[in-house]
Amino acid sequence: MTVQIGFLVNPIAGMGGRVGLKGTDGVLKKAVMLGAKPVTPQKAEEMLREFCAISANHRDLQWITCGGDMGNNELEAVGIKNKQVVYSPSGNTTSADDTKNACKKLLEHHIDLLVFCGGDGTTRDIFTIVDKKIPLLGIPAGVKMHSGVFGINTTAAAKMLHEFINERLTIGDAEIMDLDEELYRRGEWKVRLFGVAKGIVEPTYIQVGKACFESVSDDEVKDELAEHINDELEKHPGWLFLFCSGGTIDYIAKKLNIQHTLLGIDAIYQKQLVGKDVNEKQILTLLKKYPKTKILLSPIGAQGFILGRGNLQLSPAVINKIGVDNIIVVATPSKLMHTPILRVDTGDKKLDRLFTTQGYLMVVIGYRLSRVVKLQTNSF
Amino acid sequence: MMTQITKRNANKFLKDEYDDLVKNHIEWNIRVLESGSKPHSIVNGKEVIMMCSNNYLNLSNHPRLIKGSIEAAKKYGAGSGSVRAIAGTLQIHTEVEKRLARFKRTESALIYQTGFAANAGLIPQLVSDGDIVISDKLNHGSIIDGVRLSKAERAVYEHRDMSDLEKVLKDADKKYRRILIITDGVFSMDGDIAPMDKIVKLANEYGAMTYVDDAHGEGVIGPDGRGIGAHFHIEGKIDVEMGTFSKAFGVVGGLIAGSQDLINFAYNKSRTWLLSGSHPPAVSGAQLAAIDVLETEPEHVKRLWDNTKYFKNELKSLGFNTGESETPITPVIVGDSGKAKELSNQLFDEGVFALPIVFPMVARDKARIRTMMNAGLTQKDLDFALDKFEKLGKQLSII
Repeated sequence: MTVQIGFLVNPIAGMGGRVGLKGTDGVLKKAVMLGAKPVTPQKAEEMLREFCAISANHRDLQWITCGGDMGNNELEAVGIKNKQVVYSPSGNTTSADDTKNACKKLLEHHIDLLVFCGGDGTTRDIFTIVDKKIPLLGIPAGVKMHSGVFGINTTAAAKMLHEFINERLTIGDAEIMDLDEELYRRGEWKVRLFGVAKGIVEPTYIQVGKACFESVSDDEVKDELAEHINDELEKHPGWLFLFCSGGTIDYIAKKLNIQHTLLGIDAIYQKQLVGKDVNEKQILTLLKKYPKTKILLSPIGAQGFILGRGNLQLSPAVINKIGVDNIIVVATPSKLMHTPILRVDTGDKKLDRLFTTQGYLMVVIGYRLSRVVKLQTNSF
Repeated sequence: MMTQITKRNANKFLKDEYDDLVKNHIEWNIRVLESGSKPHSIVNGKEVIMMCSNNYLNLSNHPRLIKGSIEAAKKYGAGSGSVRAIAGTLQIHTEVEKRLARFKRTESALIYQTGFAANAGLIPQLVSDGDIVISDKLNHGSIIDGVRLSKAERAVYEHRDMSDLEKVLKDADKKYRRILIITDGVFSMDGDIAPMDKIVKLANEYGAMTYVDDAHGEGVIGPDGRGIGAHFHIEGKIDVEMGTFSKAFGVVGGLIAGSQDLINFAYNKSRTWLLSGSHPPAVSGAQLAAIDVLETEPEHVKRLWDNTKYFKNELKSLGFNTGESETPITPVIVGDSGKAKELSNQLFDEGVFALPIVFPMVARDKARIRTMMNAGLTQKDLDFALDKFEKLGKQLSII
């Protein structure tokens, strides 16, 4: 069966960074005045060229794309002919609306994967329309890429596309991140979890016989993680558990019939919700009532943050009260392949040093199964 | 009359799941040996040079083993009649155990039906809830199964990475009752060896027990093929030396060697030992003879290594990449999985039997043919095989 690949380029993404602006959203005119030139068409073409070089059967694909620099020009430039343009931008300059309208059209054509070129802003725009309907693969070209849908560079993205169409990858969670751009330009760094999309990941393999492995789905691995956490809850009945944000924790909670806020932190006591989507102040209040507390976390976004991004409610005050020994980190092996180093940036250098002096964490990757993962502080 | 309503078809899933495997080309295609497992075997009607069996020293065909088998059967019968614990321990079983302990230079030894049974039976008894098993990332499946059966927590360390192992030990030291470190002795994919001396040293620092699965090391590494303990001059220092008679020894059976305390514990607690019939006398007779041969005929181990060195060097000079092997397991790295499978099939057609190893057993771009050397192969045999590797290697643009 022919694989249908949606292909969308955001021609204005990445222009801000080259001229010292942090992002392009809302500041395109300023960026252009400062001499910014489009970045994404070239990056998109680079990826396509690399893909054609490694993929012998790329002629079996059908590319569903958008007019002009939103995809068609790039495909033409590398000689891809089996394509169909389903959306064309009206003006000379494109905007977020074009991205969103293009996605609506692409979805109508039953694509198997949406390959796009842009940054976090583009990713959010796409996610608002696509949600979890189809997996996303990002070619990085924007100024900042915190979302977990991107290949680390054009070569990696090309390889991932190749593996995907050869049915060697599976679907996993990919966090979409939101950076408050105004605050960032004023020097404040607030990255939140915006949503959890579908990405494509390397499957986890288990050995089922001599020289014989079986791939297990991400959901099967998360089932094991849920079983492990269930045991933890039962072994510590008098403890409060803070279920933090992200797709993995959400899956675990749902599996254990516990309500969960995908993008926030919930307080769970004896499998009951005692605090929904709590902020720092509310957590500190809860800690007075529940002095014995554990935090359940999973790495968020492209950089694998466990503290400081997406879990901002866990302030240094909260962590110091709970104790770093009471932090449980869970991750699927496929997530760790994507983010092999975990990061913390609590905002408190002394606390960060406490983590990074050790330099590693034990991460739970299956039922009663864990491994060492390197840990670093943020170096942005 | 009451009509019986059938709620489900109890057996349909058997065919459905098998058909699914076939559809995805992952069903097992069993090749049948019409000869015994010999350096030249008849496989599916074709004569081939055998480069994928575990019969490293060709002891399966040694006249002393065959004689030992026959005489034991004549003396003790075709079967043992029971499980070891009840009425199935024959004198010949205990004799093998005594001789094995002497060979391995440990206080005592115990025989299981198979290596798999040893791991699956013993590991779950050594650790339980509140304990942790720490294992090398690349450990063999039967270790993994043994670990899964226990209620212990598990942690993995990066392959042969002692700094990673130490990190895990530091963490485990704070949290668990017992710590068990398990590793393969010889890793069967790349043919590399676990740094057992360093593992034992770290284990001693943290009060951890050490367990080595030396299946591919028995009869292969160490002076006289006495295994990994002898290889690193730490005989008696590894808490549990587990191995098998089914590879270099040329017979079948699992073994553990260690202290008398270990053996007393093991045979009282291992369900596989207690609940499964013991070896037929013929097996024990061959096992005894195998130990005799290793103690008195050093030429087999020597020839295995001479063959290994020659084959590796010639492959390298032809331009093949033979990886990091330190043992008679020599990978011939091809790269692409499809190419590796193709090379293996063509080698078979040309009379050389060696299996491809592809992703996910190894990295995507590191698929290979895994060759297992054999002491029974002559230089003529090796040159024949090298010839085929060269011809097909060039045809498939590997060299």
